[in-house]
This record gives sequence, structure tokens and C-alpha cells, in this order.
Amino acid sequence: MRQLWQILRLLWTAEPRAMWRGAVLAVTVLVMGAALLGLSGWFITATGMAGLAGIGIAFDVFRPSAGVRMLALGRAAARYGERLLTHDATLRALARLRVTLLARLERFPMPELRRMRGAAALTRITADVDALDGVVLRLALPVAAALITHAAAFVALWALTSHAIAASIALGYLIGGGVVLWRVGRATLEPSSRAEAAMQTLRQGAIGLFRGRREAILQGTLPRWRASLDATEAEARAAMDRLDAIDTGAGMVLSVIVALVAAVAFALAGVLVAGDNLDPALAAVGVFVALALAETLVPLRRGMAEIGRMRDAAARVLAEPQVAARPERKGPAQAAVPGAVLEVRHLSLARPGWSRLLLHDLGFAAIPGETLAIRGASGAGKSTLLDVLVGLEPATAGEVLLLGKPLSEWEPAALRDVVTLVPQRSALLSGSIFDNLALADPGLTPEAARAVLRAVALEDAVEARGGIRSQLGEGGAGLSGGQARRLVLARALLRRPKLLLLDEPTEGLDGPTARQVLAGAREFLPDTAIVTASHRAAELESADRVLELERYIPEV
Amino acid sequence: MARRASPDRLLPAKAQATLRRAALLSALAAAAWPLQALLISWGIGGWLSGAPGSASLGVAAGFAAVGIARAGLDRVAARLAFRAADGVIHDLRQQLLTREALRPGAGASSAALAAMLTEKLAVLGPWITRYRPAMARTRLVPLLILALAFYVSWAVGLVFLIAGPLIPVFMALVGMAAKEASSRQMVEIGDMNTLLIDRIAALPDILLLNAGDASRAAFEARAEGLRARTMAVLRIAFLSSTTLELFAAIGVAMVAVFVGFSLLGEVTWGSWGGLTLSEGIFLLLLAPEFFQPLRDLAAAWHDKAAAEAVADELDALAGDDTAPVLGQGAQAAPLAGPASVALRGVTVLRGAQRLALPDIEVGPGESVALSGPSGAGKSTMLDLLAGLLAPAEGQVVVAGQPLTAGIADAWRARIAYVPQSVHVPDMTLRRFLDPHDSGADLNAALRDARAEGIVAALPEGLETVLGETGAGVSGGEARRLLIARAFLSGADVILADEPTADLDAANGAAITEALVALAKGGRTVIVATHDPALAAAMGRIVPVGEGVA
Repeated sequence: MRQLWQILRLLWTAEPRAMWRGAVLAVTVLVMGAALLGLSGWFITATGMAGLAGIGIAFDVFRPSAGVRMLALGRAAARYGERLLTHDATLRALARLRVTLLARLERFPMPELRRMRGAAALTRITADVDALDGVVLRLALPVAAALITHAAAFVALWALTSHAIAASIALGYLIGGGVVLWRVGRATLEPSSRAEAAMQTLRQGAIGLFRGRREAILQGTLPRWRASLDATEAEARAAMDRLDAIDTGAGMVLSVIVALVAAVAFALAGVLVAGDNLDPALAAVGVFVALALAETLVPLRRGMAEIGRMRDAAARVLAEPQVAARPERKGPAQAAVPGAVLEVRHLSLARPGWSRLLLHDLGFAAIPGETLAIRGASGAGKSTLLDVLVGLEPATAGEVLLLGKPLSEWEPAALRDVVTLVPQRSALLSGSIFDNLALADPGLTPEAARAVLRAVALEDAVEARGGIRSQLGEGGAGLSGGQARRLVLARALLRRPKLLLLDEPTEGLDGPTARQVLAGAREFLPDTAIVTASHRAAELESADRVLELERYIPEV
Repeated sequence: MARRASPDRLLPAKAQATLRRAALLSALAAAAWPLQALLISWGIGGWLSGAPGSASLGVAAGFAAVGIARAGLDRVAARLAFRAADGVIHDLRQQLLTREALRPGAGASSAALAAMLTEKLAVLGPWITRYRPAMARTRLVPLLILALAFYVSWAVGLVFLIAGPLIPVFMALVGMAAKEASSRQMVEIGDMNTLLIDRIAALPDILLLNAGDASRAAFEARAEGLRARTMAVLRIAFLSSTTLELFAAIGVAMVAVFVGFSLLGEVTWGSWGGLTLSEGIFLLLLAPEFFQPLRDLAAAWHDKAAAEAVADELDALAGDDTAPVLGQGAQAAPLAGPASVALRGVTVLRGAQRLALPDIEVGPGESVALSGPSGAGKSTMLDLLAGLLAPAEGQVVVAGQPLTAGIADAWRARIAYVPQSVHVPDMTLRRFLDPHDSGADLNAALRDARAEGIVAALPEGLETVLGETGAGVSGGEARRLLIARAFLSGADVILADEPTADLDAANGAAITEALVALAKGGRTVIVATHDPALAAAMGRIVPVGEGVA
């Protein structure tokens, strides 16, 4: 529950002025509604009495009837204002929360991000955030407004009618309604988190099925996938059925409470009037207000029924990522190769989480304008080595100096301004080709975009599909594998790094195109040290030097 | 502009019948209010004529009894409506899953389909459980109250009569605007999910480019766009309900003032020979309930608008005429017949373009390389042979017979397909390599694919769960695992799409040798490749790419 409070505070403080104004209007709406019916009831009963007594002429009709009209119009206006203010404020707060969550994801360690299921993270951000919109709108605000309205009604009835009527209405609604709502909140906790969990599993399962359906069809496993989705769906439906049973049951009990409270108020009023202890017109106020207050109670059950869902969503949304501890490295080292962009000394590394060493006592340097190809068999550790060089993975032993400064002393942002890594699997974004390039350079001009596309021999292909403003689908769909590879490369070139690390940069390209692309990249970045992890002839031939990893693989 | 048709087309006859019953019960419960109003007005009238306190107790008991009965009726109606909604959503979900699971080539993104399957279909729930009963109440209750009002006072009846019909007119206008705003919002929800899944998938790259801020700013703009659009929908919804509340409030106020003046004797017209206090109270209690069903309907109006938007989207999905794959994608006994395949006069449609593919005849045990520039149709040919794609013209012949939906599953039980891009679903490596738990020798297959070292080095061996894009193993390793699976399945037709693409020369050569060995062992091997070494190792090369129309 603590997290719910935290979320409430977060949402409320995002737009506090709008929220407070909305809250005041929410109370106004309820109070005016009760006052409208109460005043109308009093007015009619009092005029009826005056008519019977024959003193109709003396009766002041104008003030009460003006009051009735004012309450009628004011209530409608207050309702509109309240809804607009609170919804807008909540949605603004939620939009901000989404962005905060995305920023939170950025703090996750890179290997975790790489392994992260897009579908699961997506679910967390969209569904959880959506579930939280009710915290203010359907829970906090209506509950607070109802309590304040009941307090106001109690005071007014205490003064106007009898204490017994005021007390029975207040106690009937607060205790009866309170118990029902509290029980709804408790009883729905379990099924609502179950329903939500099943729904999210269903969504993730569905994304998995749709992404992997080709594979599943080929393997003949589609019916099995489907069966597990169907089981999840059945679970979600069962939980939602339970929720609906609790919810509608609570609705029924609340309606019964309204009927009973009004009946008790009426009976009390009748007995008091019969004993000449209460003016009939004021007694009518008690009955009508009792009926009108039903409006405060019934909407609360929806919010209470969602408590479980909101609580779980709040817990997930507020969960902090585990901050990866950056390894402490000892003192600065002297660069041995003057002017080198990159210098690696006595480097040993293992794949993350594994103990067996991939490479041992590796040492090399790269100077500006040089192209160095690292050659090794698949699985020899080329990709891991590049991850180490860009600071994503710690080395097991040894030193990496970048521009003469140990890698561990670089701030991540500064480091990425100097080094750019293009991993083997790089993702493009939906949006235009230009948008994808502009990610690397916010001030990109169309001319510069075309120039870099020319450098990677992609300009013609882009023109053929409608220019740099042509749109790509999800994950850059619409380009062939080789085209996507070149676009990723172009994006990296725009960073104009001092050190460019390329993991199998020309995969999926034919030999001549590969040579053209590598030459174009060199021409585009004449002073950059380029290090490639390669095994293709084109890449090895284009390099100034080739480093054989085989020499550094430890004997097993 | 989306077509404006009622989402009723989504409701089967059985659901319609259940809903009619639910609607009737709900309307009956609402129609019992005048009875309660009558009791109260009669009781208050009694206070002035000196009725004893016991009369009030009787009235209170009657009022409570009717109230309890109404509450019970409402509950039964609500449960019926929920069951109908649950059934309808379940059926639509099943239809969608069945259809889309077999159409890997269809245009809708995975995230968009999953969103439709979960939150968008769920939007139909409120429409069924709230809008439709409210509609039924609107048809019955105002008429009933109108008749009662006229019976007591023609002036009040006239107020209702004039205010009543104005409301639907106004609501229709509001509803039209709301629907358009609502469909824009639905599109935006889908867009944002797509955008988000995209950003999260690309997050490592975005971070490497130091572009976290730029990417988040773009996302922020879209999230803000969603808020603005949602508010546009809500503003209209709130406006419509406010209008109704205004009508209701003014109606109550007018009735109260009219009745008050009548009781004072200052107004002498409007009733059938003067109002009594009881009649006045009765009219006052009727007034809000005359408008209540209309207000319920307005509150549920955007449920209908949202349901219409979903119905239109469902139609659009169904309107994508991408053909499903042949067969059901189920496990089947392997098809009998020779391990031969052929394409004869086959063309496929690629958008509006017609692509003619070369004829090929591949006999049992033959090995063939399809070679040609990217985009020439090499992968398409493999898809055709695997029954993932049906030709626009011509014939695909497998195991000596035309490949039809009826035999596609059985045919696929004989083939192993090594696709170009690695998709590792959320499962353990063991499960991935051996989906049907055949118990075949995983180690032998891994050895054949030169992949045993990869598994030995994984933290949890065969029980390691790999990421969606196969992170945790390098690109070359993921490919070798896929090839190991082809070895494992014991299939006698191997289709491989660029099998050496991620591999270094030594391993590429090893895989090439393994594929040749498979062919020599009597299996049919067809590879699409532009690796000259692999192509040369195959029995013959079929050039692809001259036949583009």
C-alpha cells in the first residue's frame, strides 16, 4: 500500500494546482447535488403547508426558487470543470511517468537491456501506467470528496432537522458503505492481481507467438503455443468473472444500504413529525438529502475494486533497477604509444558470467586514421572484446587506455562521444530514414544525411524507395538485411567518433559493395581509428593491419 | 474516414438474446422507482394531514422492500450482461488468434496485434455491459415517467416532453464528434505501443549513440500527443454528459418551482384541478429519474464510440488479404513420397509487382544452391517450398504431389528450415533444439554443426534460456545452433537461407561440409546463398533474378 501512497503523491504533485482545484470542485458537485434535492423538497413541502394554511401570499418564493436554479446550473458547471481538471492533470502526470520509466530503463546494465524482452518492458510501461490513472480519479478523489460531503451534510442536518436523523444518515452511510467498500477492496486484491498478471502474460505470449509464428509453423508447434495462450486466457477470464461477481454484489449491497438509510430517515422523520417534534418541511429535507447522498457512495466501488491492480502496478512501476557496480580500478597508467587513440595492454577477458578465459594477455594499439581488423573464429570473443573496449563489460585483467586515459576513468556520456560501437545486431527504429540518422546527430541536415548515405553506398537505394523521408516499419522493417546494416553504419559515422568499433560491419553485403562501404567510411572519417571484428575477406583486405586473436586464446 | 456502422455486428445471436434479457431486467428495476416515489410522496402528504407515526413506518418498510428488490434485479441483469460480454470478447480473441497465427506475412505488427487482443478487445466490455442496458432503460423508463407526469400534471408532462426529445438530438451530434476523436485515440494507443517496443528493443543502440535524450524527447512528444488526443475524446464525452446533467438539473428546478407555485395557489393552470402536496412531491421525485437513463446512456456513449472504433479496426485487420500459410502449423506424421521438390511456372505477388521465379526440379539427395542478388526471390522460393507462401500462379510440387493445405503440415514434418534471421523464442535451449521432445541425440547433432562448444560454455548448458534475439550467444553461434537443430530433426529435406552468413571462413567451410555430407547421406539440400564457397559445394547452382517482370 505504501507504493500506492507514493504514486498518489507523485501524481498529485505533478499538477498540484489543477488537482486541488479539481478536488474543491468535486466536493462542490456533491454538496450542491444534495442541497438541490434538499432545498427542492423543503420548498415543495413548505409551500404545500403554506397553501393549506392559506398564507400563500406571504410566502417568500423567490429566494428558494432562485436558490434551486442556482444550484442546478452551478452543479452542472462544477461537474464539467472538475472532470476536465482532474483528468487532464492525471493524464499529464501519467505521460510524465512513462518518460520517467523509459529513463529508468536506460540505467539498466547493458547486458540486461540486450536480453530484455521488448514485450515485457512494453507491458510494464504501458499497462502499468494505464492502471495507475485510477489512483486519483477513481480512488483518492471520490473517497475524500464523499467524506467531506458527508461531514457537511451531517452538520447541516444536525442543525436543520433532528440529531437522530443526522446521525442515522451519517452512520448508515459511513459504517454500512465503509464496511462494504473495505470488503470489496480486500476481496478483490487477489483476483485483480491475478487477472492483471494473466492479461499481461497473455499479451506477452501473444507478442511472442506473433513474432515467432513462422518458426512455430515450421516446427509444427503452433497448436502447443496456442494451447498455452488459451490456458492463460481462461485464467484471466475466471479472475475477471470473480471480480465482476464481487463488484456487482457490492453494487447490490450498496443499493440496499441506500434504500435502508432513506427508509430509516423517513421513518424517524415521520415519527418526529407525528409527535410534533419536527417541522414537516425540515423533515422532508432529511429524507431528500438521504436519497441524494447515494450519489457519493455508488461510484466508489469501482475504485475499490481496482485497488489490487493499482497496487501491483505501482509496485512494478516504482521498482528500482539494480545499479551495476562499476569496477574500481587502480591508479592511472602511462600511455606507452604516444598519440594512440586506443591502447590495450595485457588484457584478459572471459564472457560475462563465465569463468573460462576467452583471451589472455592481449595487447595492441590503434592510431588515428588507422584501420585495424581483429580476426578470429566465431565464438572466439570478438564481440566480447569490443564490449570491453567500449566499457560495457569489465575486463578480467589488464588495461585499456583511450586517448591516454584509462577507460574506467571516463564518464559514460563523454566516453560515448569519443567511441562508437556498432554491434552485430543493431536495431533501427520505426520512423523515417532521416529520423534514424538524426538520432546520432540532432542537428543533421538533409544534405549531410545524403552525404553519409552516399558514403555507405546506400544513397541510390534510399532514393529508389522514396528518399530520406520515406518511412521504415517496426524495427526498421522495409529495408533488406544489407541495407539495414549500411544504415546502421551510416548512423555511427555521423557520430564522428575518435574510435569506431565495428562488429562484422559488412555482413550481408556482397564483396564489391562491402569494399565500397569500407572505403566510403574511411573517406568520411579520415582521422578516426577504426577497429573491426572481421572474418570476411573484404574487411580483412581493407584493413591496414590484421590482429589474429588465435594467438591469444589460452590453451585449455 | 472510417465507416460508421454499429458495432452490433460483433454480437452473435446468442449474445444478443442474453443481452435482451439483461436489458429487460435492468429496465424493470429502473421502472420500479415510481413505486418508491409514490410511497414517499404519499407518506409526506400524510405528515401534513396528521397521519400517525406508524403510517410512516409502513411507508418506510415498503420503500425499503421495493429498493431491495430493485437492487437484486440490477445485480442479475449486470451478471447476465457480463457473461454476454465475456463470451463475445472470448470468441473474437479466438478468431483473431486463429487467423493471425497462420499469417506470418500480414502487415500488422506483433505489438499492434497483441494490443488488439488484450486492451482493445476489452474496450467492448463496457459497451456491452453499460451502453446496451442503458439503451434499454432509455427506451422504457422516460416513456413510463412521461405518462405518469401527464396523469398528474400536463404542464410537468409538457416540460418532460419538450426536454426529452432535445436530448437525443444533441447527443447524436456529440456522439458523431466523439467517435471520430475516439478512433484517433485508438490509433494513437497502437502507435505509442509500437513506438515504445521499438525504443526498448533499440535501447542498447540508442545508448551507444548517446541518443537517450533525443529518443526520450521524441517519445515524450508522442506521449504528450496521446494525452492531448485522449483529452479531446474526454472533453467531448464530458460535454455531452454535462449537457444532459444541465437538462436534468433544469428539469428538476422547473418542476420544483412550478409545483411550489401551484401549491401556493399562485399558479392555477397546468394540472387537472389543482395539485396536492403528495402529487407535488411525486412529480419532484420523478423528475431526476426521467433524465437518469439518458444520463447513463450519455456516460456510456463513448463506450459505444470506442467499440465502434475497435470494430472498424477489426474489420481493417480482417481486410488485410494476406493469404495464410498452408496447413495448420501442427505436428503431423511425415508425408510419404520421395524427398523431391519442384517449382513449375511459379509467380508470386509482391505488392502490385509480379515476380516470376525460375523453374526448378530437385530430386532426392540432390543439393542445390539458389544464387542471385538480394531481393531476387531466393528466400521467397524457400518459403514456397516450405508451404509458408502460396504461389499466385504455377505449381509447387513436393514428394511427387502438389503442395496443398491438406499435406502442408505432414510435408513440413519432413523438412528442416534454417531461416535467415534468428528468432529464439522464450524457452530453454533444449526445448528450442528439440521442440517435440523426440529424445534424439542432441550432442551428436551439436557436434555435426560444430556447436557443442557453444553449449558446453553456456552458464546452464542446454537449460539456458536465450534472449529474443539470441543475446547471450554471438551471431555466429546462434546460426550454428539453428543448423544443429536441422541436423537433429532427422529431416530429409533441408532448406537453408544464407546458412554461412554469420560464420567465419573456417566454420563456414565446416558447415558447408556438413551440408554436403547431409546431401551425400541421401538428404535433399537446398540453400539460398551468395557465399560462393557454399554455392560451389552444392551439386548445382540455380541462378535467380533474371525473371523479374
